[in-house]
Amino acid sequence: MKKCGVRRMEAAYSRIKYFESIPSTPKKNMILTRIGYKKGVTELDEHYMKMLEDGIRLGEALCKPMGAYTRVPVQYRDELCVRLEGGIELQSGSLSKLLCSSGEVVLMGATVGKEVCDRIEYEMANNNAAMAVIIDSVASQTADSCLDWMVHFLNSALAREGIKLTRHRYSPGYGDLALLYQKELFNALRLERLDMSITEKYMLVPEKSVIAIAGIEGRGFENG
Amino acid sequence: MRMDRGLFCENTSRKVFLLDGATGTELQKRGMPAGVCPELWAIENPKALMGIQEAYAGAGSDIIYTCTFGANRIKLDEFGLGDRTVEMNKRLAQISRQAAGGKCLVAGDLASTGRFLRPLGDMAFEECVNVYKEQVKGLLEGGVDMFVIETMLDIQEARAALIAVKESCELPVCVSMSFDESKRTLTGTDPVTALITLQSLGADAVGCNCSTGPRLMLEIISMMKPYARIPLMAKPNAGLPRLVDGSTVFDMGAEEFGTYAEDFIKAGVSLLGGCCGTSPEYIKELHHKCSGLKPMPVDCKPYSALTSSSKTAFLGAGLPVAVVGERINPTGKKKLKEELRQGLTGEVRRLAAEQIENGAHVLDVNVGMPGIDEKETMVKLIELLTGMAGLPLCLDSSSPEVLEAALRVYPGRALVNSISLEKVKLERLLPVAAKYGAMFILLPLSDDGVPECSEERCGIVEEVFREAVRYGYRKEDIVVDGLVMTVSSNQQAAMETLKVIEWCSRDFGCATIVGLSNVSFGLPERGWVNTAFLAMAIDRGLTMTIANPSSEVLMSIKMACDVLTMRDANSMGYISHFTSRTGEAVPLKTEKDDRTLERKIYDSVLKGNKEEAVELVNTAIRQNMPASGIVNDCLIPAINEVGVLFEQKKYFLPQLIQSAEAMKAGFDCVEPLLIQGGEGETAGGTAIVLATVKGDIHDIGKNIVGLMLKNYGFKIYDMGKDVSAQRIISEAKRTGAKIIGLSALMTTTMVEMREVIRLAKEERLDCRFMIGGAVVDEDYAREIGADGYSKDAYDAVKLAKRLAQR
Repeated sequence: MKKCGVRRMEAAYSRIKYFESIPSTPKKNMILTRIGYKKGVTELDEHYMKMLEDGIRLGEALCKPMGAYTRVPVQYRDELCVRLEGGIELQSGSLSKLLCSSGEVVLMGATVGKEVCDRIEYEMANNNAAMAVIIDSVASQTADSCLDWMVHFLNSALAREGIKLTRHRYSPGYGDLALLYQKELFNALRLERLDMSITEKYMLVPEKSVIAIAGIEGRGFENG
Repeated sequence: MRMDRGLFCENTSRKVFLLDGATGTELQKRGMPAGVCPELWAIENPKALMGIQEAYAGAGSDIIYTCTFGANRIKLDEFGLGDRTVEMNKRLAQISRQAAGGKCLVAGDLASTGRFLRPLGDMAFEECVNVYKEQVKGLLEGGVDMFVIETMLDIQEARAALIAVKESCELPVCVSMSFDESKRTLTGTDPVTALITLQSLGADAVGCNCSTGPRLMLEIISMMKPYARIPLMAKPNAGLPRLVDGSTVFDMGAEEFGTYAEDFIKAGVSLLGGCCGTSPEYIKELHHKCSGLKPMPVDCKPYSALTSSSKTAFLGAGLPVAVVGERINPTGKKKLKEELRQGLTGEVRRLAAEQIENGAHVLDVNVGMPGIDEKETMVKLIELLTGMAGLPLCLDSSSPEVLEAALRVYPGRALVNSISLEKVKLERLLPVAAKYGAMFILLPLSDDGVPECSEERCGIVEEVFREAVRYGYRKEDIVVDGLVMTVSSNQQAAMETLKVIEWCSRDFGCATIVGLSNVSFGLPERGWVNTAFLAMAIDRGLTMTIANPSSEVLMSIKMACDVLTMRDANSMGYISHFTSRTGEAVPLKTEKDDRTLERKIYDSVLKGNKEEAVELVNTAIRQNMPASGIVNDCLIPAINEVGVLFEQKKYFLPQLIQSAEAMKAGFDCVEPLLIQGGEGETAGGTAIVLATVKGDIHDIGKNIVGLMLKNYGFKIYDMGKDVSAQRIISEAKRTGAKIIGLSALMTTTMVEMREVIRLAKEERLDCRFMIGGAVVDEDYAREIGADGYSKDAYDAVKLAKRLAQR
């Protein structure tokens, strides 16, 4: 029985797909919003326009967006809990509600890599905090847009099977899905393969990294 | 008898070939349960598979596909069957041959592995080729007549499969991509780019299947047809899928499906079948509607085109001069050399982004320098640029080995730079460029060197071209380099180059290219000579130039020449080029230069100009302006105004920071005088200990707060991140801090703030607490006994000031 469980886990792992270079483009307006820019109100002279453009370009050049995803069948679900094949049990009423029409979920993880995080620290330490906050904003936004890209990509792929992702996705630490689940999802996605790690307090390293879960809705058909 | 490529070409030009319909859904109808390996089930239930395939043959299919859609090692591994790949493919091919009974052809079916290739995914190109070669081996052993690579979602994976087949046998091979409603594949390739890439690489037919119904697929085929030198194929779904009671059904019946047959043939399809939702009934309908119809001839006008994985760049007469960005080349670039040696790519990314932004159409990639593995670096950069650039690449190396490795992994149709009459280039590089379907730059030089006169150069062009024709090249597949020599040593040199360009454009009939910088070597102000030469070359019919697209003069002249030589229809490119240069900047209103020195100091802080602030404050000191006046009448009002502007969102965070830094820099100049005069510091030098609490590793917000507080005159002891409660309390005691600032970004770590405050109380520490971070708020501050919460860095300054006064 135990051997069978291990084999199931191994089969699930063989279904993890890795993206080593996600072509995601962060939304410029979101980068600006993160650093307090308000369109039509914030006044920028040439100096700041150039600093902003340089910072965004540099941040984009330093980000190395990568990600992974895997599809896992839902084994059991009630109002407060969702159990996935392979043994992951997630206590969360809101997640359970999200997955009410899903027989399967997609686990996703994404990061923009270490180089950009190092550069933020470097700029901060070298009296260039303004540049640091711009790059920080680019990195945060790029990490988010990695997940957006993956959702879009997966939806395009799933459409070929006649199925789709739930409209929303959940990340540990939001709502009633506790941050501690980050660890199990991290392990399920084997994110160490993307040079990521997780701290005792369930924080992802590099800092600009994200994990999310979404449901798959509908029953597909066999291609080919 | 197996079909050969010549026969396939001949037959598809005479007759419309009917393909089969869906197999997966038909197997499900015959009892295949969900979740099993379809290939294994088909082997264990051969009668079910044969029944389907016999029905297709009976309905009129001229070609049936083997049931090997998921029979590659990677897919089979998901069912623990990877080691049976060859055996299963062989068996499934045998079953199909038996079902065909000699009445129709059997195509070995290859489809996606489900994994993603580099740079998008983690699979190496060669690994993917080998996965397909293993499957091809089994199918060949099973006796297939030809191959079809179908439902491909990624052009690079399709290339890998195509190369695997072509390196394994001489049988015809068709490639069918899957495009969605956006008319792109899952990884972003459009139909024309897919067609040009795959037909250049040697596919015998290209087309599309799955994902869409007949209506949209007709549009995709119509997009491909003008560029197709090979037959086109189509296998649409039975209309669009709909979700009914949680299951997917298709909305088009066989009769309606059949009505599209004639339109497909008129649009240029020579091989037609069905995909998801279709059945033998649908093929019968197609057979009925196709009887008596002949395929449209394969007849497209000559064109020159390069592709990346997502874009096609058309080149040639009547089109704007294409700029090949020359900057990714280590010659004369110290930083790039250093990074390439260290295996870093930041500078390459920067150069690529800059060139794309400035209007390059193609990027030249040259990594020839000592101290690195050129082949490895070239492959790495191709993967990098493929992921980020989207533009076709010009692969530039003097080493045939490097170029071969580059062409193999390049996910499109590249431009090889370059092939000449030199023996090594002709013998080694030309066949390789041809194998991968690349265009190439023809350098009119030989082992004897560069001929001075244009006639000799033109002779070499003809000679190299004759050789290239043997490998299937046409005139539109080559680009002749005029070879620019320097006019400072031979003033006739430029004219000879121009004659070569003119001859190629007007007489020989091929595209041309020039690198500009050589022409002006040794002259002052070289940009003018380069630009004038470009304009003259364009007048002689130049197609492309290798240049730095960041040169504004050069790009502007090019745009103007495109208008004047009628290559820029309605001057749209020119207009767009110049209108895109006006930014959205809202100029900051500043006073005129008759401002007082006080006002200038004030403005320097307002503008965040640290250097100017220092200079002006020093000027004020030299003019004996009172130190307290500089601080109280200039620096403090300015930074207060910055705070107001920040709160009003007229300033954003970088401005707030830079202004605070400018203020601090100015203050540092005047501080010694204040101390001499006994006037003290603005915030009274209140000590604050700052820390991100234990377990939390996020600290940029805390760092910004620290910086702002420091600039406002507080004495900051920043302990960094992941700091325990005990260490924070000890530091506060040691420094005599009046305020402790705590930061946390996660729900799991915010609880540590409570612990710090509890411990402080326990140890009777006389301190105020302020907290901040994404997950905390005013209520949480109250709940844990903190004295205040700040929402941002400026708010933290105001809060600290209040707390310091208590």
